[in-house]
Amino acid sequence: MTTIFGIPMALLYAQLLLGIINGAFYATLSLGLAVIFGMMGIANFAHGALYMMGAVGAWFMLNTLGIGYWPALILCPLVVGAFGMLLERFVLRRVSHIDHLYGMLLTFGIAFIVQGIFRFWFGSAGLPYAIPSLLTGGVNLGFMFLPYYRAWVIVASLGVCFLTWFAIEKTRLGAYLRAATENSKLVQAFGINVPVMIMLVYGGGAALAAFAGVLAAPILQVNPTMGAEVLIVIFAVVVIGGLGSIKGAIIAGFLAGIAEGLTKAFYPEASTTVVFLLMAFVLVVMPTGLFGTKTQAAATSVSLPALAHESAFMRWALFGAMAIGLAIAPLFIYPAFLMKAMTYALFACAFNLMAGYGKLVSFGHAMFLGTAGYVTAYAAKTWGLSPELAILAGTASAAVLGLVAGWLCTRSSGVYFAMISLALAQMIYFLALQLPQTGGEDGIQSVPRGALFGFIDLSNPTTLYLFVLAVFLGGFLFLSCLIRSPFGQILKAIREHEPRAQSLGYSTDRYKLATFVISAALSGLAGSTKVIVTQIASLTDVHWSMSGEVILMTFLGGVGTLYGPVLGSFVVVAMQNYLSALGAWVTVIQGAVFVICILTFRRGIVGELITFVSARQREKDRRGIAMPAGSKVVTGT
Amino acid sequence: MSIAFNGFYAVKNVDFTLHEGALHAVIGPNGAGKTTLFNLLTKFLQPTEGQIFHRGVEVTALKPAAIARQGVVRSFQISAVFQALTIRENIELALLRRSGLQWRLLGNARRDKALVERTEQVLEQFGFTREADIAAAELSYGRKRVLELATTVATDPSVLLLDEPMAGLGREDIDRVAELIQTTAKGRTILLVEHNMQVVSRLAERITVMARGQILAEGPYSEVSSRPDVIAAYTGGTH
Repeated sequence: MTTIFGIPMALLYAQLLLGIINGAFYATLSLGLAVIFGMMGIANFAHGALYMMGAVGAWFMLNTLGIGYWPALILCPLVVGAFGMLLERFVLRRVSHIDHLYGMLLTFGIAFIVQGIFRFWFGSAGLPYAIPSLLTGGVNLGFMFLPYYRAWVIVASLGVCFLTWFAIEKTRLGAYLRAATENSKLVQAFGINVPVMIMLVYGGGAALAAFAGVLAAPILQVNPTMGAEVLIVIFAVVVIGGLGSIKGAIIAGFLAGIAEGLTKAFYPEASTTVVFLLMAFVLVVMPTGLFGTKTQAAATSVSLPALAHESAFMRWALFGAMAIGLAIAPLFIYPAFLMKAMTYALFACAFNLMAGYGKLVSFGHAMFLGTAGYVTAYAAKTWGLSPELAILAGTASAAVLGLVAGWLCTRSSGVYFAMISLALAQMIYFLALQLPQTGGEDGIQSVPRGALFGFIDLSNPTTLYLFVLAVFLGGFLFLSCLIRSPFGQILKAIREHEPRAQSLGYSTDRYKLATFVISAALSGLAGSTKVIVTQIASLTDVHWSMSGEVILMTFLGGVGTLYGPVLGSFVVVAMQNYLSALGAWVTVIQGAVFVICILTFRRGIVGELITFVSARQREKDRRGIAMPAGSKVVTGT
Repeated sequence: MSIAFNGFYAVKNVDFTLHEGALHAVIGPNGAGKTTLFNLLTKFLQPTEGQIFHRGVEVTALKPAAIARQGVVRSFQISAVFQALTIRENIELALLRRSGLQWRLLGNARRDKALVERTEQVLEQFGFTREADIAAAELSYGRKRVLELATTVATDPSVLLLDEPMAGLGREDIDRVAELIQTTAKGRTILLVEHNMQVVSRLAERITVMARGQILAEGPYSEVSSRPDVIAAYTGGTH
């Protein structure tokens, strides 16, 4: 038999073909994502859920309504497309006037809700779906047996890709669409109904996702979580192709599938990571992807609370109240819950340093939490290091990872930054899944708590609690000093007006990188402490849903405020703890809380509170003593 | 030097010298490439062709922040102050770097006596003492422009590039800002982009006229302003 590098040719061809089939799915899915991103600027986190709706929808139609594959291939995309249009009309449109980040966060919450509801209805088990009778059987190609259905998948997705590309690049409607992304007001002034067009775009993207879902139903596992797994790969594909580029999405989709297939033949362990490696490589060489345009999104503008100028006394009083409250809380509340909440709170505070003060909203922060956790667990269990050294090792490894990831990520901003951090985090996730040291699906269990500095025994619950409290308060205090320090002031200046900060001589890139590293290190500290408390390092801590949770905590409590992330963490952890009996509904509730938060109180609980109080303060000032004489209004022009 | 965007030259073959200690103005109709020239000189844009020298040293490859650290500091056409920060904080920010505090992660800048003193001086010089602790966002447009000038001057630059400092100002503000520019010009080099000809004639020793990305004329104000091709460029009759 002929071989290449020791691999039989037949196997190579077979993997190549499988790769092309996977690539067909990637291309169809990333196509919809690219269309939505290009036209609306939103990285559509609901795309995986829409894809899943297509597949589960086909199963539902067949098993409940008796509608077969071929009608479902038309009907499912229509139904899901209509659902997408409703989503755009009644949810996404409400945030279309503010930063696209909020649209992205909304789709994130929606994905949670949809996935939760479907899990409630259909369970988590696979739903079998038969190949349509017309396409059963196959043909022997000599090196492999090609089922007709798989050939059809390639043909169908190539057809859909071509039609979409043609519609957007070569028709009049497509020209309007492209013009509207450049300047929607101007296009509206020409008498074109842009809002309806945007609605159609989102609906069309959703329909494409559902089409891929129906195509996938007979050959992939149909279940309510199938979308979540493929979504992140699709994000990487879109980043490789160049965000918003339709041609790029199609080519990168097939490229990713083929790369995956070939890796499977040569080095199967790396096949799930290769797409992310490819992405990292492309980004280093071409920061905007293969076919991306040069224009990068401007920095994100998150809704921040009005300026709060509290006195030093007030500041210490608040901190003291929190410290005392947490110190006596275990008398009334389950300590394990409090410790969990405190580690998450530290994590959220670290995330907030970047999101609120550095304007960099990362979607991959779990990589720091999880990596530090694994390193700490390994150091404590295998090397037998004492807890303080194990935690130090974990924190340091997170900082180093932060340096590398930060160097890659801070070259971009806004949605690009979020996507790249997410894809990097996914690379770490696959490493954690496959490295022998991390224990794969089991993680590292029964990590010894040991004795701090050799003599403070952490197996004592009270000691452990005090230790976690000290770590949390220390981290919190460090962060609150940091944002008031000269460094913190410069960070705020960069957030307010980056070019101006540069023109004052500050190398803003270095400040962003430093912020990234500090944030990563503190997230690592949180992850390491968490492992000492729970005695387990597991995949959940590196999974992207953890990155989502920290965003939820921070935005719910109040991004850019000191106490917001703390409050948000306690609320979210409490929800998870006390609602856990509800099963799949916890995800739905979490998603709903997130959506409501973004739609109604964008500044978060603490943020809205500060804004309210300072507005009243200003009102009082206005009614009381007159403004200082120097601030009289000078008319312009 | 030149810069092209997709083949379109916004600034083409501009050979421009700014002499030390001069107060030099660049004028020209909208779209002449004045602000682009500024962006090139301060490295917010990278020239497609050509080189930039500062005091005989080539600086073409430097980043904006590095240029600023050499003492070449610019202001912006659209008022650039840090809105959410107080006026005092705005000025402190300009001073932090020279005080060597910019990488301090802990501690408060207010503990640095020299910095506090210098901040007070700048506040007083520009008439902000009484409103030092209100947010910059609450200032009127004219006062914001003054604050931007204050922070620019606070970095003690050797070369100051002011992009339309009078744009959008009322009459009384114009006189005050012109005076401020005159005072700060002592011992510094100033390059000014301005549409207000009265101000230009009052302040500038030399002017450069730009049109369509190229230099049309250069020389003393009185000489250049009477040239027919310059007048034509302004009234739109050229070419």
